[in-house]
Amino acid sequence: MKSRKSTSQKNKIKVLSYGIKKQRDFGFYIFSRIVIVIAIIVILFPILYIFSISLRTKETLYQDIFVLIPRAVTYQNYIDAFNYAKTHLDVSFLEMFRNSMICTAASITVAIIVSAFASFSFSNFRFRGKEIIYTLMIASFAIPVQASLIPLFFIARDLGIINTYLAVILPYIGFTIPIAILILRSFFERIPIEIKEAAKVDGVSNFQMFLRIILPLSKPAIATCVILLFLETWNEFLFALIFLQNPKIQTLPVAIAKIAGGKYLIPLGIYGASIMITVIPILIIFVIFQKWFISGVTLGAIKG
Amino acid sequence: MKGMTTFQKFQRNVIIPYSYLIPALIFLVVAIFFPVIMSLILSFYSFTGYELNIFRKFVGFENFKFLFHNRYFWIALRNTFYFVGSMAVIQTTIALFLAIIIFFGNFKYSSLIRMLIFFPGVLAPVSVSLAWRKILEQDGVLNRILQINYPWLSNVNLAIWCVVFVNIWQWVGYNLVIFYAGLQSINKELLEAADIDGANWTQKIFKIVIPVLQPTIVLNVILNVIGSFRAFDIVYVLTRGGPAHNSEVFTTLMYYYSFAANGPGKMGVGAAIAFVMFLAIVVFGIVRIKLLKEEKG
Repeated sequence: MKSRKSTSQKNKIKVLSYGIKKQRDFGFYIFSRIVIVIAIIVILFPILYIFSISLRTKETLYQDIFVLIPRAVTYQNYIDAFNYAKTHLDVSFLEMFRNSMICTAASITVAIIVSAFASFSFSNFRFRGKEIIYTLMIASFAIPVQASLIPLFFIARDLGIINTYLAVILPYIGFTIPIAILILRSFFERIPIEIKEAAKVDGVSNFQMFLRIILPLSKPAIATCVILLFLETWNEFLFALIFLQNPKIQTLPVAIAKIAGGKYLIPLGIYGASIMITVIPILIIFVIFQKWFISGVTLGAIKG
Repeated sequence: MKGMTTFQKFQRNVIIPYSYLIPALIFLVVAIFFPVIMSLILSFYSFTGYELNIFRKFVGFENFKFLFHNRYFWIALRNTFYFVGSMAVIQTTIALFLAIIIFFGNFKYSSLIRMLIFFPGVLAPVSVSLAWRKILEQDGVLNRILQINYPWLSNVNLAIWCVVFVNIWQWVGYNLVIFYAGLQSINKELLEAADIDGANWTQKIFKIVIPVLQPTIVLNVILNVIGSFRAFDIVYVLTRGGPAHNSEVFTTLMYYYSFAANGPGKMGVGAAIAFVMFLAIVVFGIVRIKLLKEEKG
């Protein structure tokens, strides 16, 4: 049944694309190819160039074929970059990754858990003030983080948590909750009412229903949240810059940004290798979960 | 609800729903709502980051007066306008254009193309800016390719446009992916009918695709405005607001006045900039709601 449906759909698509093909003038065909080739060159060039730089020795830095292909290849820059971080940035790459992981994992976990509870409340109960609170929560997504930065600095200072992971984890949770609630509420509301009714007939409590029925059904929505929140927190810079001044606990973006600082002149090869060390793990995660990334972003945006 | 006592009703309608809501609400109040209000109040005080009691010195509108008589503030206002405006107009247009090209171009590797253009969007803006910083340097590779010697990032007028370009480079794929999803949801029969009627591709795009995509266009513009308005890292890493504060935007100027190691440490002024930013986004929200109502009405 399912397969028959999909083949008929396929046929339809074939017919459709043929329809466009037949009508399409040759000019558009050429034009579209040229545009996309240019777009991809512009997008890929900087990444490939930095990668290429990171593989060159000092002597062969300006010897290349078509700018991108190095004449001689070495991985020495990556070793040097690890040492450079230790000596000049006062924090090793391993520590940077550890710090970023702690901040990201902690804030994502808490944000998704409290958002799931809140979304369950929004989707399952009728109560006074529901839509006003929901609108306020979602609207807070638009407020620039800078608007709460200075007071948060003093709150963190008075709590004595400046220069601890908590100083960034707490704001990260607050700032990502609206995104998570947006996605989770709409997903929870699309779970068929029959399932919930059946559970109620069986005398399952609200909390049991949430834990045993709603959450297991919501794995795709939670995965979407994880991806969106990961991108938000892993790449976050401003709060980490201000709240984590002790080099040892700085996250990846803050620590790596210092190579542009110009206190010391950093060799180009090490500069490129340092950037690539931050890019490559994300590249691997992106390649593995690419479909999830795209659908996550699309879903997140469309719900917004 | 027969047979329920007032307390049972209260429990059912207030206590239970709110007990699920409270944890998220607390985080939002502590991280956003309370600080935003406090930020507004603080913009009437003068204080530094080392003060124990930040509410010691009330200065009325002094911080705002200081801002409005300050050249940097007007530069930042102009640059923020350029930056946010470019994201809203240029980036959205490029993304829509590319999405249409990919959708109607019948590319064999369409999803790979989208993936490649989207990829910069998952990278840290810091890494992206560091990479472009080297490329745009005076002895960087761009000048080498063009065989010129142009100071892209240290030109007073051009620096902010370099930031705009790099930001578009990073985020255009984000809009593209959303547009593409919108294109996929267009009723195929509509396009087929247009084919049968002998419509050419420009007609199809302007008469069918763009009208249908209008809500998606609005969505992308809003996302870009919100996203670019708060962007900080890209300007900070690419130009540090320089040369001589000429590429400063609101976010970097606020950082400069409140937190920068080489800045004046006037946190009250920083709070005043935060106030202006908050106001701007509220106005933007109101305009958007007004427009929405006009469309419906």
